[in-house]
Amino acid sequence: MGQIYPMRRSVLVLLTFVLLAAPSLAALASGGKQVRYVGIHPIPRSEGGGICYIEGPHVHLFDADKVQYRDHHGASYFVGDPVAYGYDGKRYAYKGHHPIHVDVVVGDGDPDEEYCYLSGPHYHSFAPPEGPEFTLAGDAYFYVGEPPHAYVEARPAMMKIDAVYQPLSYERPVVEVSAPVGWIGARAEFVAPSAAVVVEAPRERVMVAPPRVGVTVQGFIPAPPSIHIGVGIGVGAGVIVHERPVIIEERVRIKHDHGRHRGHR
Amino acid sequence: MRAIVFVVMALAACSKAGEPDKAKATPRDAVVAAWTADKLVPSKLAAAPVAFAKDCQSGTVEGLDVLVCSFATPADAKAAEVPGLAWIGPATGASQAHGAALIVLADRKKADPNGRTINRLMKLAPK
Repeated sequence: MGQIYPMRRSVLVLLTFVLLAAPSLAALASGGKQVRYVGIHPIPRSEGGGICYIEGPHVHLFDADKVQYRDHHGASYFVGDPVAYGYDGKRYAYKGHHPIHVDVVVGDGDPDEEYCYLSGPHYHSFAPPEGPEFTLAGDAYFYVGEPPHAYVEARPAMMKIDAVYQPLSYERPVVEVSAPVGWIGARAEFVAPSAAVVVEAPRERVMVAPPRVGVTVQGFIPAPPSIHIGVGIGVGAGVIVHERPVIIEERVRIKHDHGRHRGHR
Repeated sequence: MRAIVFVVMALAACSKAGEPDKAKATPRDAVVAAWTADKLVPSKLAAAPVAFAKDCQSGTVEGLDVLVCSFATPADAKAAEVPGLAWIGPATGASQAHGAALIVLADRKKADPNGRTINRLMKLAPK
């Protein structure tokens, strides 16, 4: 018995040492390996929280998520709103989606255009480059350029970022001016479905006369261009009338010949 | 009189000895001078053998471990940025080329939780 106690104590000491020496959960998520970052970004709460202010390339032992970060030549670049995490440096207000010229922001000359999919007013630590792509109105930048296919393609997945920021409580920019002409948030084809009030028109159904083949054909008539009324403040961007597609159904009529069938001729 | 001559000769010798040092100023010297000018004085740097460079010295500054290497060209320093990450080990840090110098900073003691000091040191270093 006398020997058990010292053994337990040594196990306890060892356990304490292991726990103290063990890296944090976030570090474990990276497998204890270095993760490359470039530019400022939030620090996970488990690592102390707040903002990492290192502007150039650097490494941490925690991972970056896929919604708030983009890959910039092997390093994770933060595209979210740093003010939400306590950033206290110079800030610039934006409203709606817009491109980010990462190479210009980090100053490394490796061309890289990424996109911010935050729908409402938000901040970044950088101003956009001068040019026709952005219009400054009411101290906020509005993207009025023509978004490329890459933006449209990644949009459904990346718009999840709004759900990340929605519960965060922080001082967001107040943008009270009317959006300039051509703003991406007011263009029918880019208005976020979740950000709009949707009014559904009644379903139309057209029945087409008797068919010859047993196939149901659905003809989809594309929805008409959305009707946009004004530009709201915040996430709400307008009213859209969606018409359900007109469905044309062809029914199969089977004629029974009561055993007198002789096959196809 | 002899004393005066001796002093003059000693001063001349000092200045002659100083001139070659100026000529030999390394990229590392420029980095340390920039930090010191902004009151970020590193500890005495000591020769540090590393696999990716021949002329490196390490020490500490503001609680951070620092390694500064001099290279013949900026391209050589740039090529050593990624190998320099190995020196950081399991910690927050940065490895950046500034001209022909490579600066590697490691926050092994968590002295710089928001990276402001690392950012400041890197921004002060001459390009």
